[in-house]
Amino acid sequence: MSLSHFFSSLAGLYATQAFFHSLVAGAVVEIAILSFRLGSPFVRQRLLLIAIVFPAFSFPLYQLADPARGSVYFRMGALFDSSRWIHMELPGPVPLGAVLVIIFLVTTIVFLAQELLPILRHTFASRKDGPSIEVREGGDPAVREALEALPVEKPESHILEDEDPVIFSSTGKKPSIYLSSGLLKVLRGEELQAALAHEIAHILRSRRPFLLPVFFLRIVMFFNPVVLVEFRRSVQEDEKICDEMAASFTKKPLDLAGALRKLYLGGEPLPGAGTKDGRKVADRIEEYSHRLNIESRISRLEKGPASGPGGEWPVFLLTLGAVIVINYFIV
Amino acid sequence: MPRKFPNYLLFAAAVAILLAGLKLAGWMPLLAQRDLMRKYKSVEDVKAELSIREIYVPSYFPQNLSWPPSAVLAQGKPFPALIMEFGQTEGTSAGLVISQSLSDTFRTDGKIRMAQLKEKVRYPLKGRDSTLEVGTCSSGEPCSRVSWKEGNTHITVMARSTPLELIKVAESMLR
Repeated sequence: MSLSHFFSSLAGLYATQAFFHSLVAGAVVEIAILSFRLGSPFVRQRLLLIAIVFPAFSFPLYQLADPARGSVYFRMGALFDSSRWIHMELPGPVPLGAVLVIIFLVTTIVFLAQELLPILRHTFASRKDGPSIEVREGGDPAVREALEALPVEKPESHILEDEDPVIFSSTGKKPSIYLSSGLLKVLRGEELQAALAHEIAHILRSRRPFLLPVFFLRIVMFFNPVVLVEFRRSVQEDEKICDEMAASFTKKPLDLAGALRKLYLGGEPLPGAGTKDGRKVADRIEEYSHRLNIESRISRLEKGPASGPGGEWPVFLLTLGAVIVINYFIV
Repeated sequence: MPRKFPNYLLFAAAVAILLAGLKLAGWMPLLAQRDLMRKYKSVEDVKAELSIREIYVPSYFPQNLSWPPSAVLAQGKPFPALIMEFGQTEGTSAGLVISQSLSDTFRTDGKIRMAQLKEKVRYPLKGRDSTLEVGTCSSGEPCSRVSWKEGNTHITVMARSTPLELIKVAESMLR
């Protein structure tokens, strides 16, 4: 199948328009965030989801609404006709569409390697082997004391005998928080309480699994680099939402900021920093972006919470409306 | 927190800039590559600029249509294709649209849009196997379309007229 045939097939049209629609949706969402100075992670996440969810449906819905949208006449009058760029020739003569196909392929590989395979591997390994680290019997009095003061339903807590400072939660029928013995040595009492409150926020949010259906749509958009970025940003916003919830439980946002700083910013840079080896550079970039994200969370907690959820629906509807109208003319 | 007018104004201005950017980005390839789909003044210009070997033009022409074509659109890439529109002598809308293309995915519906398809039959057009569609346009007037393959070229003729007139036009395009 030639590139020209691919791009004029239904699959090619879907992939191309989904890509450009998410690009435009992402731009409009960014404009809304900047124009309205939206600081609340609840609102920001809701807006980011437009760029993830909308492109999964936009092409079929537009075609149902107007079957002539794919005709030459519509394309000539459109705001942006992607086929002009796709069929432009590079030296060779290779059409520019080949570059888009390469972008789709690279994104697919990244999605498989960094998102889908780790999830499948983790699911398979945990079913087969169970927990591989020793769990301390009877829990820990410091953890029980920290949980006691929180004004929410308490999940089970388990101490893992591990010197690395680790904390995570498992959801489902019997939600639990797992934390390592190393973490108990690093954090003060209030910081430990803040970290536990953050995990409880994740458990509470998992009862209304907002990101799960979004992840399925994100799987549909496996080839789309814009959706890849926007989904990751959305997950980061989820962390900020849990930070705000944790701060509201403990009333001590600075303790959560302190815990984050100790857990994620206290370590030394990765060994081998400065090497030109490709893998190391990738690790450094990942480490750097992770640090930036943690610093942004700390800064938010230190500044105090942004405006809460609610009252932003006009902005959401305006943004969604602009995305729907503009993308109709992107073919 | 209620949003203020300057926020909405800023949003509108930024979206307007985005729209302008998209329009500009959509137009730029036409500067770099001459043989993308664009308007031409005449069929002769198309012949001169693009490598379309044979252009099918009718020799029979109904009196209610005006000659020369009111619009000529053509492209050389990704496949050669040509559209000729003919206006009606009374009124401004297109009365006849003829398209030829080397790809079967080339779609020219839109200028004359069949709102209701009443019949679709195979029709022998001077020995060619063609598909004849008969229906009505959105305004209720009769619409018909005939399409067939001439060598590697897909040809479609669509008119705001009865199938009888349409077939006369289509047959006059063939030797």
